[in-house]
Amino acid sequence: MRMLLVEDETKVAELVARALRSERYAVDVAADGPSGWEMADAYNYDLIILDLMLPGFSGAELLRRIRRKNQQVPILILTARDATAEKVANFEAGADDYLTKPFAFAELVMRVKALLRRGSVPRASVLRVADLEIDRLTQQVKRAGRRIELTPKEYALLEYLATSPGRVFSRTMIIEHVWDQSFEGLTNIVDVYVRHLRSKLDDPYPVKLIRTVRGVGYGLGESAEA
Amino acid sequence: MNTRSLSFRLVAWYAGVLTAVFVLLGALTILFLQRYLEANLLDTQARRARQIAGTLISATNRATETALPAQVERLYSPEANERFIRITRADGHLVYVSGPPKDARYDPARVPPAAAGTHTRKLRLADDSLLIAAISAAGADGTPYVVEVGASGAGTAATLARVLVMLAAGLSIAVCVAVAGGFVLVRRSLDPVARMASKAEAITQHNLSERLPVVDSGDELERLAVSLNLMISRLETAIDGSKQFIADASHELRTPLTVMRGELESLAQDRQLPHATREALGSVLEEVLRLAEIVAGLFALSRLDAGEAHAPWQRFDLGELATTTAGQMSLLAEDKKVSVACESAPGVTVEGDRARLKQVIVNLLDNAIKYTPGGGHVSLSVRRDGGFAILEVADDGIGIPAEALPHVFKRFYRVDGSRTRLHGGAGLGLSIVDSICTAHDARVEVSSTAGKGSTFRIRAPLAGDPAASP
Repeated sequence: MRMLLVEDETKVAELVARALRSERYAVDVAADGPSGWEMADAYNYDLIILDLMLPGFSGAELLRRIRRKNQQVPILILTARDATAEKVANFEAGADDYLTKPFAFAELVMRVKALLRRGSVPRASVLRVADLEIDRLTQQVKRAGRRIELTPKEYALLEYLATSPGRVFSRTMIIEHVWDQSFEGLTNIVDVYVRHLRSKLDDPYPVKLIRTVRGVGYGLGESAEA
Repeated sequence: MNTRSLSFRLVAWYAGVLTAVFVLLGALTILFLQRYLEANLLDTQARRARQIAGTLISATNRATETALPAQVERLYSPEANERFIRITRADGHLVYVSGPPKDARYDPARVPPAAAGTHTRKLRLADDSLLIAAISAAGADGTPYVVEVGASGAGTAATLARVLVMLAAGLSIAVCVAVAGGFVLVRRSLDPVARMASKAEAITQHNLSERLPVVDSGDELERLAVSLNLMISRLETAIDGSKQFIADASHELRTPLTVMRGELESLAQDRQLPHATREALGSVLEEVLRLAEIVAGLFALSRLDAGEAHAPWQRFDLGELATTTAGQMSLLAEDKKVSVACESAPGVTVEGDRARLKQVIVNLLDNAIKYTPGGGHVSLSVRRDGGFAILEVADDGIGIPAEALPHVFKRFYRVDGSRTRLHGGAGLGLSIVDSICTAHDARVEVSSTAGKGSTFRIRAPLAGDPAASP
């Protein structure tokens, strides 16, 4: 998998590239509109990540040029603005997803993965993490063979954490997926739900599955990192 | 009537000065008239005295002076004419004095003797005055006599009194007319001031593009209106500048925040680092996230202020939104042992940005739960009041002190420092509520008693009839 990153802020570009490379993706970096267009035109990338504010010509212009040539490639927009109207305009121009700075890198990686497998990978109906079993069809949760009763929100939270075992999800990511944007800034609600989930899922068992990484967020199961 | 208003003061001054001038003029008129009338009267008396001296005294001598009274009575009949006549020899011997007048206003016998030589004098009596002219005359044998002729000043006084009444009446009528006219004139010329004032009161930071009415009159008021409008323009520029600054600053801060967040996230998860280091990095990361939250809040506020394109408005049931939101937040309340009661009237439909209005409910409920201790109650209600939808979030928590109440919607305002550490947050929640309400033509009000709880009330216009406005 090879992707193009067009970002003029060197440090942000380095970080994003590093995060993606650690996921075994090949990443090419362009620092302005014209060179980004040159590279996108020369090679058929599997995914393109665009910053909206670029020297040369803007990310929006680059987005239109790429779309004129290639309808298929997934495009993820990075921006420092989150005006709804602008978001809508960019989706209409052919962006597939949208991330507002400052974003959690875990979220970037999740979105990239989602864009790459979109439509192709069938969702597993049963998720397994250690001795935990989540049946997505019946929404039933079992640990060590025993049923655990969860409220719908607790279930949604657990299922979201289980989509990528070992990965740490930021509170903002959790809020956006499990609640909605109106709850932004209300990150303590996540802490409360995680505590409730823990009391049902972890407290009766010696091995704790829900992991807290201070400042970063919550994850399920052992870290995938070394 | 406002006694300190400019029109009142102008008219009062004007009336005062006018009255003073009229009174002064009147007093002078009365004074001169009195002098003139009295001089006239004395002149007549002097002429008569000279007549007596010329016809009677000059023909008499010491031997025949006893015949004088009868001659005077016959020729002048002083009592009938209300006239005082006295003839005295220079050595003080009284030759003749007229009798008392018909109404006996004065007693001629008690009029003090005249000094020698030609002169006039005025005697003040109880309720009258006697004006007397005296001349020296010599008899046929050279005997010196003094002839005095006097008349009552009552006629003069009556004339003066009539003139005084006329002047007083004229003065009051003139002052009344002048005050009424002055009031109309002042009102008319100050009318633009009232219009400018009411317009100026209506201009807030949200409609700074509006201007005061300028009357093309070429006078000082036109100049004032123009200067004030220029001042509003400068204010608008300054406020726009500061808003733009906030928007730019929050935008520029995002890139460094992204880098900090990214670096810290990867470090905080690095198992090779000691646990204590990762905890410290996590703590820094928490502050970076808080900073990011503040930046996002400021950015959202500056966009709301600028009235920038929002999501398309839709019609929705406010009561239903409130119930759903309260349900989603119930665990937060349960966790704090705070009960949340939700009561909503059916069919309260409003029009707006549903996600933003939900944010309002979330922020208000979150605040209410935060500032209500365990065992407390929070109530959320939605009802209809005339053409408005009323959303109320009330709690019986710690409340807000009266002196802090006017400031709670200000950015970064905190009731006291302790709340910051205890409850976190960016200090922008209520400002965002206020801005979202303003963008929806809604008003948010707060009432609170410290120690007893707070009530936030939102008054939003109901959605119009969809059939009437497609």
